[in-house]
Amino acid sequence: MAPPPYGAGLAGILPPKPDGEEKKEEKVDYLNLPCPLPFEEIQREALMSLKPELFEGLRFDFTKGLNQKFSLSHSVFMGSLEVPSQSTETIKVPTAHYEFGANFLDPKLMLVGRVMTDGRLNARVKCDLTDNLTLKINAQLTHEPHYSQGMFNFDYKGTDYRAQFQIGNNAFYGANYIQSVTPNLSMGTEIFWLGHQRKSGIGFASRYNTDKMVGTLQVASTGIIALSYVQKVSEKVSLASDFMYNQMSREVTSSFGYDYMLRQCRLRGKIDSNGVVAAFLEERLNMGVNFLLSAEIDHSKKNYKFGFGMTVGE
Amino acid sequence: MASAAAEKGKGPADAEDTAAASAARLAREWTTWAMKNAKVVAHYGFIPFVILVGMNSEPKPRLAQLLSPV
Repeated sequence: MAPPPYGAGLAGILPPKPDGEEKKEEKVDYLNLPCPLPFEEIQREALMSLKPELFEGLRFDFTKGLNQKFSLSHSVFMGSLEVPSQSTETIKVPTAHYEFGANFLDPKLMLVGRVMTDGRLNARVKCDLTDNLTLKINAQLTHEPHYSQGMFNFDYKGTDYRAQFQIGNNAFYGANYIQSVTPNLSMGTEIFWLGHQRKSGIGFASRYNTDKMVGTLQVASTGIIALSYVQKVSEKVSLASDFMYNQMSREVTSSFGYDYMLRQCRLRGKIDSNGVVAAFLEERLNMGVNFLLSAEIDHSKKNYKFGFGMTVGE
Repeated sequence: MASAAAEKGKGPADAEDTAAASAARLAREWTTWAMKNAKVVAHYGFIPFVILVGMNSEPKPRLAQLLSPV
C-alpha cells in the first residue's frame, strides 16, 4: 500500500512555496529520502546562532589568496583567554600570539594548517577517497609531550543515511549513524569507547526540520540531554533557543538568541539562564574588510569580556 | 628458598610466554616509535606540505606572491 500523503496538516498552516515546488502535497517516496546532515552537524543552525566566537581583546586576521584554491593567513591576537577552572572564579590569562596558516581548498581535498608562535599546530585534512567515503583528520600537535590530540574520521555517505567511524588518541573509538526517516525527520545514534579510562557511552539524536524551523534532541548516556529549536522568522532574522540538562552535575542551562543577517552586518545576541548576556557583531566595512565587536557580560561572576577586531580578506 | 623455588617454577613458563609476548611487545614498541616519529614529521612538515601542494596547484602562484604582504 502506498504511504499516506504526508504533510496534509502542514499544508494548511505553512504558506505554499512560491517557486512551484509543491512538496507538501506530493506523496512521500520513502525509498527516495534525502541524505541527512552529518551527525555532528545536527545542531548546526542552533550553534551558528547561539555560539559565536566571543573573544576578549584585539583580534586581527588577514587572509591572502594566492590563487582560487590556496591562501595564506596571518592572525594576531592580544587579550585574555579564559582558562577553565573548577572553582566558580574565572581565571583569565593574558596572552598574545601570532598564528600563521596555510589553506588549500579543493572540492576533493581540503588542507588547513595553523601554527602559532609557541609551536602549536592545528591541522585539518578532509579528503574524498571515493564519491561516498571521506577521510577527515583533525589534530592539535604541541611540543609538550602528551598534550597532542588527533582524531581520524571515516565518513560514509549512503543514499539516505550516513555512517562515521572515529579513531582518536588515548585509544578513543567512536561510531555514529544517522538515517532519514521522513523527508523532515532524521534520527541517529552514536557510541564511543575511551580506552584509557575504560568508559563507554551511547547516545541518540534526532532532528526535525522544515523550511522554517529546526528542532533537535540529543540524549547521551553521559547524562546529558540537549534540545534546541531554531525558527527562521524571515530571510534576515532567526531566533534560536537551546536547553541542556546535565544529570551528573544537576545543571540546567537554557539560552535564547537572535541572529540578524543583514546586508552589511551580522548581529547575534543571546541571553543565558546563568544571567550571561552576549552579543557579536560583524560589520562589513568594505569588500573583504570586516569589523568585529564581541561582548559578554556576566554580572554574577563579575566577568566582563569585550573585544574588537578586524578581518581582512575573504 | 621460597622465592628461588617460585622463580625456578616461573622460569620455563617465562621462556614460553616471552616468545609470544615478546612479539606483541616488539609490535607495540614499533607502533609507539612509529607514532612518535609520525607526530614529529606531521608537526614540522604539515605546513610546508600544504604550501607545496598549494604552490603546485593551477594557476601556479609565484614565489614573490608567497612572501610579499600585498
